[in-house]
Amino acid sequence: MIQNCLKQRFEHTSQLLRFCHFQLGFKSFSFSVLPMTVCPQLLQTDTIEKPAVCVIYPYCSRSKSLHDRAVINCQYSMATFSTAERKRRPHGDRKSSEMSLHLKQTFEAAVLTELYPRSQIDIYVKILQADGGNYSACVNAATLALVDAGIPMRDYVCACTAGFVEDTPLADLCHAEESGGGTSLALALLPRSGNIALLQMDARLHQDHLDALIEAAMTACKGLSKVLDGVVRQHLEEVSVLTRD
Amino acid sequence: IVFFFRTAEPLEYHRSFLKENCRPDGRELGEFRPTTLNISSISTADGSALVKIGNTTVICGIKAELTMPPSDAPNKGYIVPNVDLPPLCSSRFRPGPPGEQAQAASQFIADVIESSDLINREELCIEKSKLCWVLYCDIMCLDYDGNLLDACIIVLLAALKNARLPEVTINKETDLAEVDIQKKRHLKINRHPVGSSFVIFDDSIIIVDPTAEEESLSTALLTVVTDEEDRLCAVHKPGGTSLSGEKLQHCINRAITRNKEISKLVDKGPPSQAKQALVERAIWKENKDSML
Repeated sequence: MIQNCLKQRFEHTSQLLRFCHFQLGFKSFSFSVLPMTVCPQLLQTDTIEKPAVCVIYPYCSRSKSLHDRAVINCQYSMATFSTAERKRRPHGDRKSSEMSLHLKQTFEAAVLTELYPRSQIDIYVKILQADGGNYSACVNAATLALVDAGIPMRDYVCACTAGFVEDTPLADLCHAEESGGGTSLALALLPRSGNIALLQMDARLHQDHLDALIEAAMTACKGLSKVLDGVVRQHLEEVSVLTRD
Repeated sequence: IVFFFRTAEPLEYHRSFLKENCRPDGRELGEFRPTTLNISSISTADGSALVKIGNTTVICGIKAELTMPPSDAPNKGYIVPNVDLPPLCSSRFRPGPPGEQAQAASQFIADVIESSDLINREELCIEKSKLCWVLYCDIMCLDYDGNLLDACIIVLLAALKNARLPEVTINKETDLAEVDIQKKRHLKINRHPVGSSFVIFDDSIIIVDPTAEEESLSTALLTVVTDEEDRLCAVHKPGGTSLSGEKLQHCINRAITRNKEISKLVDKGPPSQAKQALVERAIWKENKDSML
């Protein structure tokens, strides 16, 4: 089955990202906003991954507050119905804690925390349906949430996975490809400067191939940043039309 | 300046609207917010649905697993509802173990399933004393703006109607279960319970379908669950100011009308949003004179 999946991929460009659909301002509340990111349609197969994210505007937290910066607090969890097998422990297990920490570190690189001393920014991400690339979808959704909340950032943070499957670098791996035993690399990028916020790879890879893989992921991220930018601008237009009336 | 009045004196703000028999978002006292329904959104779950009542968004995913039936009821399966209120739906919920409201909601849904005879637990049994289905109904709130219980009941009903379970047979020789993923069948839903929530303002005014702000300013809550044959399944009034029997009867009548509105929505699958709003208003208006 994975061979079929791969053949379909080869026919189209190997850098093709899954079709991404973003929706901003899904919910608005006086200070907290909820955009929902939906990434559907992998060519022939019907695979979707949906995280829902909320960002709460900074408020003061005395015990952990820093005197010169905001503290970013992330919580990653998966809905019990998000995976093929029912997930018994959606919070607090090692994978969730690791993801939460990675998200926190990624956003500490991008958010201008010096503007909010002694405050806390909470980012909650919940995966409604998982099909590979969990981390990337979370990062993209959280970026949009922060933009929607009006929290100043250095740049959009775009993330994508890339992997080698039978000597071809592929971008945006689905679950079948990730668990098929090939290499997979997750990259979070600040597109304008080309700086890497987070890079994670857990597999054996010859260092000559690393460049090709990073290149594939970076191209995908840059494409993604254009999509994010387009969505933000479109949402702004819609909102400004509504408020004008 | 209206914004400041609203935050500084919320009760006065709402009272000024109630005097004119309407509410800040323009609704009448007996009017529900537009309800939209989306089914089969999650393909990893055996059945799923998403409901929006105004801004309140609730999603339900049904996962079915196989297990042994309980020893005191060997011919019945399990149905396990669970309501989750994660911190992302509202700033009033903190991360951590499920709070009071989530646990109370889970228990309420379990009681409604039991009392309304929504699904026959015998149907979930595959082989007496050996194998049965356990349906985990995970209801998650994505956006909390009041009226959680109504949304949970609707989404549970829609997800169960949409759920498809594979055929399971027990191989006589090996005594193992064989699951046939290709053959899937729907669950048999006996009843269609639908809930309506009300709040009481200032001990006398009853309004329907509260938003989160109205809920926090109210003096009592009431939820009535009826089924499609106009029978009561549950009435839930957790304390608060007292209510006369007559007013309770009005609420029950309103709940019966609401049942008709929602049954159309759940049965026919989601029509377009504008059309649905029109259908609801039409049913409500034609029954308006018979109550309140």
